[in-house]
Amino acid sequence: MSNVCEEQIFSSVFKANSKTIFNYIYYKFGNEEKANDAVQEAFVKLWENCAKVTPEKAKSYLYTVANNLYLNVIKAEKVRLKYADMYSNSISNESPEFVLEEKQFKQKLDKALNTLPENQRTTFLLNRIDGKKYAEIAEMEGVSIKAIEKRMHLALKTLREKIDGI
Amino acid sequence: MQENYLAKWLNNELTEAELSEFKKSDEYASYIRISEVSKQLKAPDFDADNAYENFKNAQDFLETKVVQLRPFKSFLRVAAAIAILLAGSYFFLNTLDQSYSTQLAERTEVQLPDNSQVILNADSQISFSEKKWTKERNVELDGEAFFKVAKGKKFTVSTASGTVSVLGTQFNVENRTDFFEVTCYEGLVSVLYNNKERKLPAGTSFLVVNGKVMDDTAIKNGQPSWVNNESSFKSIPLKYVLAEFERQFNVKVETENINDNQLFTGSFSNTAIKIALESISTPSKINYKLEGNNVLFYGENTP
Repeated sequence: MSNVCEEQIFSSVFKANSKTIFNYIYYKFGNEEKANDAVQEAFVKLWENCAKVTPEKAKSYLYTVANNLYLNVIKAEKVRLKYADMYSNSISNESPEFVLEEKQFKQKLDKALNTLPENQRTTFLLNRIDGKKYAEIAEMEGVSIKAIEKRMHLALKTLREKIDGI
Repeated sequence: MQENYLAKWLNNELTEAELSEFKKSDEYASYIRISEVSKQLKAPDFDADNAYENFKNAQDFLETKVVQLRPFKSFLRVAAAIAILLAGSYFFLNTLDQSYSTQLAERTEVQLPDNSQVILNADSQISFSEKKWTKERNVELDGEAFFKVAKGKKFTVSTASGTVSVLGTQFNVENRTDFFEVTCYEGLVSVLYNNKERKLPAGTSFLVVNGKVMDDTAIKNGQPSWVNNESSFKSIPLKYVLAEFERQFNVKVETENINDNQLFTGSFSNTAIKIALESISTPSKINYKLEGNNVLFYGENTP
């Protein structure tokens, strides 16, 4: 019987999921340190309970642990995600006006993202950055696909309103 | 437009009609832009291999869980079981009676919890409960013992033949097969035999041989003679004398053509077997033969 207690399986589960857990917590709270801690914590819990968790269940187990970890801790904290530094600067054959306009748009998007409710922002970014399907996000958040679609819809709507200055 | 159409649109799930309607709307350009720019966003760098190394080093789990935690747990279990066993047997043994015994040709002195003294003659055993001693001074006796009892509450010696109780005195109890003798050397001893109580003042003794209560015989010594390595008898059937002889020297006695019910008065040494044999055979007018651990007593007129 294979379970997560075998180091080989455990390490493959770690490598397959740690990046997404990190991003997931980072999108929620905008705190890199806490996202790193969440990864460690979630896998410590998984290792401690490795006999009870099958490899198939490991993924949702990890998200549940990571989620519960900060459930009540930093909801109130003001989120300041820094996406601006992370934009690729590859576009160079554009007119200076365009570049400036593009930069302003990104700043607006940044600001708008930070004001989104945590669950809408997480859903939006998991989809846009990590390319996660709605079904996957639903599994991570433990809600229905429809709920994720709702969050996505509201996220887009709010972002556009903020950016267009409505 | 269907519910959550923005989410559907991002997922390319809109119908043709819906899509063309959406494209005509004023916001469409903005949504396109948000969709495209947001795709260029990036999360902070995260190195999974590095994180895994950190995890292993920080937790040390991968080794300790298997190699140390488990054996320690089972060790604790075993240790707990042993501790319970030890504690249990300690309490069990504690409730058991204290017991002392002597082998053949052996003698020992026992100090009781209240400093009363017991001298055990050969092939005898006493037992008493140290825990209950302060409540009741009770000693079980099988064989022969001399008691020097410290003053205090009632002191009881229980034997298969009868019960002897005193307050503080010196007395000797002998309880052998068909033979029960209590001799009081000091104070007053009460003997319960066949539900009849008898008071023995100092210098008297109570003797039952083969179920028959014999006349009281008085001995004026302060101690039974066996304490001083001598076995004394006064009008005792010879077979009991020979039985005592066997016990004192750890030998096997056989008789031939002898009336072992004849009464014997006298004593024999408990240390020198030759002298003891003479002491028994001469007054009884019998002969003896000593071969190793076997002694044969035979009648004068044996062919």
